[in-house]
Amino acid sequence: MNEQYRLGIDIGGTFTDGILLNETTGEIRTGKVPSTPADPSDGFLHVLRRMLDDGQAEPDAVKYVVHGTTVATNAIIEGNLAKTAFITTEGFRDLLEIQTGIRPTLYDLQFQKLKPLVPRYLCFGVPERLDYRGEVLVSLDEDAVQSVVRDLREEGVESIAVCLLHSYINPEHERRIGEIIATELPSALCSLSSEVAPEFREYFRASTTVINAAIRPVVSNYLGNIQARVRRSGVGGEMLVMQSNGGVLTFEAAMDRPVFMVESGPAAGVIAASQLGETLGHENVISFDMGGTTAKVGLIENGSPRVTKDYEVGGTAATTEHGSRGSGYPIRTPVIDLVEIGAGGGSIAWIDSGGILRVGPRSAGADPGPVCYGQGGTEPTITDANLVLGRISPDYFLGGEMRLDVDAARRAINERCAGPLGMDADEVALGIVEIANSAMVGALRRVSVQRGYDPREFVLVAFGGAGPVHANRLAAELEMPTVLVPMSPGTTSAMGLLVTDIKHDYSVALIQRADQIDIGVANTQFQRMRSEGRMALSREGVADEDTRFIKQADMRYVGQSYELTVPLQEEDLDAAALDEILAQFHQEHERSYGFKAEEEPVEFVALRLSAVGVIPKPQLPKVSPGDHTTTNAIKKTRPVYFAETDGRVDCPIYNRYKLGSGDDITGPAIIEEVDSTTVIHPGYRAAVDEFGNLFLTRI
Amino acid sequence: MSSETPIDPIRFEVIRNALVEATEEMASALRRSAYSTNIKTRHDFSCAIFDRKMRIVAQSFSQPNHLGSLMETIPRALEAYGLENLSEGDGILVNLPYTGGVHLNDITLISPVYLDSTPVGFVASLAHHVDVGGGAPASIGAFREVYQEGIIIPPVKFVSGGDFNRDVFDLVLAQVRAKRETAGDFRAQIAANNTGIRRFKALIGKMGADVVAQYIDELIEYTDRRTKSELAKLPKGVFMAEGVMDSDGYTDEPVKLVVKLTIDDEGLLFDFNGSDEQRSAPVNSTYAQTHSGVAFVLKCMIDPDVPVNSGFYRNVHMVAPAGTVVNCTAPAPVVGGWETQLRLTEVMLKALADAIPEKVPAGTEGMICHSGFGGFDPYRNETYCFLETIAGGFGARATSDGPDAVQPHGKNTANAPIEETELNYPVRITRYELVENSEGPGQYRGGLGLRRDYLFPDHQASFTILADRERWGPHGLFGGHSGEPAHYVLNPDSSATQLPSKVTVQLSENDVVSYRTCGGGGYGPPEQRDPEDVLRDVRDKRVSPSRARDIYRVAINTETWTVDDDATATLRSAVSGQRESAP
Repeated sequence: MNEQYRLGIDIGGTFTDGILLNETTGEIRTGKVPSTPADPSDGFLHVLRRMLDDGQAEPDAVKYVVHGTTVATNAIIEGNLAKTAFITTEGFRDLLEIQTGIRPTLYDLQFQKLKPLVPRYLCFGVPERLDYRGEVLVSLDEDAVQSVVRDLREEGVESIAVCLLHSYINPEHERRIGEIIATELPSALCSLSSEVAPEFREYFRASTTVINAAIRPVVSNYLGNIQARVRRSGVGGEMLVMQSNGGVLTFEAAMDRPVFMVESGPAAGVIAASQLGETLGHENVISFDMGGTTAKVGLIENGSPRVTKDYEVGGTAATTEHGSRGSGYPIRTPVIDLVEIGAGGGSIAWIDSGGILRVGPRSAGADPGPVCYGQGGTEPTITDANLVLGRISPDYFLGGEMRLDVDAARRAINERCAGPLGMDADEVALGIVEIANSAMVGALRRVSVQRGYDPREFVLVAFGGAGPVHANRLAAELEMPTVLVPMSPGTTSAMGLLVTDIKHDYSVALIQRADQIDIGVANTQFQRMRSEGRMALSREGVADEDTRFIKQADMRYVGQSYELTVPLQEEDLDAAALDEILAQFHQEHERSYGFKAEEEPVEFVALRLSAVGVIPKPQLPKVSPGDHTTTNAIKKTRPVYFAETDGRVDCPIYNRYKLGSGDDITGPAIIEEVDSTTVIHPGYRAAVDEFGNLFLTRI
Repeated sequence: MSSETPIDPIRFEVIRNALVEATEEMASALRRSAYSTNIKTRHDFSCAIFDRKMRIVAQSFSQPNHLGSLMETIPRALEAYGLENLSEGDGILVNLPYTGGVHLNDITLISPVYLDSTPVGFVASLAHHVDVGGGAPASIGAFREVYQEGIIIPPVKFVSGGDFNRDVFDLVLAQVRAKRETAGDFRAQIAANNTGIRRFKALIGKMGADVVAQYIDELIEYTDRRTKSELAKLPKGVFMAEGVMDSDGYTDEPVKLVVKLTIDDEGLLFDFNGSDEQRSAPVNSTYAQTHSGVAFVLKCMIDPDVPVNSGFYRNVHMVAPAGTVVNCTAPAPVVGGWETQLRLTEVMLKALADAIPEKVPAGTEGMICHSGFGGFDPYRNETYCFLETIAGGFGARATSDGPDAVQPHGKNTANAPIEETELNYPVRITRYELVENSEGPGQYRGGLGLRRDYLFPDHQASFTILADRERWGPHGLFGGHSGEPAHYVLNPDSSATQLPSKVTVQLSENDVVSYRTCGGGGYGPPEQRDPEDVLRDVRDKRVSPSRARDIYRVAINTETWTVDDDATATLRSAVSGQRESAP
């Protein structure tokens, strides 16, 4: 049989994960090897070979390899950057030094400003100037550019970022500088702001372009090296890399625009949740991915994950929530809107100087890890609390590969927290879990309520090793009616790599009032972006019938500065469509900010088009029907502590692999599988669907 | 916490987080729906929640300056208006300066939160409106009495049933220049308050009003305990410092500020006796503004993790005699009160430098440095106003350089992006860069000042500078030199006329106004600075080679970009003179 495969490989800090899909049978295999930071391609090849051998797949039967990587983020955080120069309009060379002016901490007299990625002596202003409409006030002084480029050659600059004022609306001067660099200094890579991120507000566009330039050589080498080794291994399928926007790019495209892949890893989880929801008929989903150090929450509306352009990388908290608070380098490329908080299994519980129990943000990480791992950890963590409460099993962690030490966990909670508080260990363990839950409820609120969405209209998809342990309680708190726990929640995120589509995002600035807009110009711009997208996709071998275009417009009331993105129909615009768009804008404004002002003029700010090459989605494997008694699936009972029962109750422990479709379990109950544990609280039940997914609902 | 208390520490943490989240949600609603650059982009606003006893319990992450004034304004405005005159869906507007308020541009909207017709708390948003009428666009200028500064709003019912009270709204709007922006910004404040009301009600609905009240009591006590235990770590003693501002905007007579700080078992007491009488000029700080400055300094002295609420403010102790520039009375102008307050913050820190030298920076920019302008926009055919504040150098610290071009202390507003400014207003920014050689030299150097030039094409704008520091730069500490003073220049490339730091000028078409703000003060003697750091500064053109040689006493080879060790040793063996620090 001529079988075909799809392979996903995600390189994380500790492990390199692989996932292999047999497209013919729908069978999925996963594997894990240690990451190899010295040369990450070693780990990549290691897991690739293991996946192929386990799946008994021939290398040439692999159609796609999709890669998720933190190489771009790590390059920034670790300062592993190219010698980069910055060219801008004369009078503005200090854009990278001045930044936003906002301090990340308000009351810290010792604060440090973000260190620019380009030293001041490699920042240059050249005479030229456009006005806000893109009209030339001062022509580009090409001699001055030549002279700057000569300096750059002497300095041995490897990569150059160019960002001129108002170039987002007229890129001519930037392009000319690009041409001069290509002629005079062909060894240097050149990133133009009008190509990387044609968005207004100069510092943010400059920052995005500089990051792109600074990480480009590192990322190019990295991807080139992997590609060469994969080819040598006989795999000839398309090589794709996950972008921060939730789509994939070819390796070649990613080498030119590496800034599009800074959040390559976390995006995969949201995509997986989105795809799962779509398969099961749930278009509105909140994804909840809780691992060892953090919990990540994303929102999917009408089948599309929310995407933001308000993002900072390399700051103290890599979250879209705090916007431009100045602790990281801003980027203005589309990033899946995630809220990430420091609450994971390893988050440490402690008593503050006012005598209050706190949880996180410090984490015991993987080393030493929670106290119960017995690897030298002494500070109690969320995992220790769950263990003490009986919610996770001491002898079935990672399917029994690792025994957890309940007594040590209890001792640590007693010594560090319960003693000082004058409470008993069970109460404090419950408190640790509840405090972590309240922080996670905060994160869920931030992606939903704070953005104008009612969480009660969403399904909570819980995954990651710890997600299903906490999800029931979070949903109850927010009155979300349903929790969905996919099979094998520990690998859900990796699944995202296999279900994501190829995606190219284009945008063009178009600042015009809605009542004065030239519809012809708008349509021409869309057509231009569309043919550019079609070309890119066909170069990547996407057939026309698998091509989709998503059109959107950024709009706001005249005078506002924050735009709302409104979806447009695929057909060309006309007057009737414009009315429809306006109505939608007012409605969206009311939803987001609690009011609309229909009498106020509205303006367009940018047109956006995503060209999507749809990749066929894998079929989920089905499970056999259950016998409706579920008693066979009970491994044993264990006393588990719940707030609702004011103490421990004997609770049945189910083996997830023995549950069949149609089975229904009443809480309190615990369902265990190798990579996670699902906790069902009293008053809730779990129904098993035909694919083995668990649906938790209130009784 | 002792074991007898019935407070559940877990529920405590949950309620505390919920309150802070609610203020952040308010701030997010305000920022995203506002119209003026000053609010939407520069974040010149703050939000807070008060309990039924009108004590502040949580506040958003934004402008430190506003928060100390909110806690003064809310109870006084509510008391003046009479709680019995309010009902569900109402909101009162206020900007009265002398009774807990600040300058007129900062307008506060207060909304009571009801549960079954009983007030259970209050939410408030304060926003700096770009124009409130008065004698110059953006309502800043060197006026002689408060009545010239714009519309004065005593507590009035601005919102009824969750929407504008039309009469009051129209009356207020009629006084201001930028009507469209102002109307949009008021809508944003209502959106913020409505968000806060929803969230506070939800919390009370879930936990019960009495339970929430009990936990708020405990939150305030907890904060008080932690604040006191942190402050108790400071060395005891009496510490003095003085400082002056250049001028009051009407006369060139410097404005003197005096701080006597007593640290004892009771905590910290800042006594401002000896500071100048209030002026008939725009440099008068209100009681609430001064209070905010003291609160800022205290907050910097304690663990940043301690929450800011009424339990913290309980520890803010000051003596500010009425009728002085640090506690002015009617009808003193107040528009430049923040300038005075920010400088007073510097003087307080200077006093603390003797107590805790390792924690206190040298002099920073120490001014708000307003730039306000307006006129008739020839492109959009409407009256426009614009306001921003310009960053400057931060002071050097015991172990690190002062950052370049930042908005220090109580102000934390963002810079207005050039492209956004030019898109919305008829102005062109022609220069925006660091001021080389403006740092206060030291073993650790101060941050550089900032240059920003404005050109006004095709119309005649009115431009107001409300700033300071053109005569004396920020002070150095422990042998560090003071930073270079600021300069304000009209048409720098032709007539190059020096402008005073507080002035309104009528510009001609294509005139340019240039701001060059001061550098931060240095810390420790410059001839002890690590030569490699000097090399980096010279290479980056922050510091000239001659300045490196003459002041830092480091010889740099600008061909090889290396330190000439022998020449440096010779330079440094000579005795170096020290410049006088600013008074």
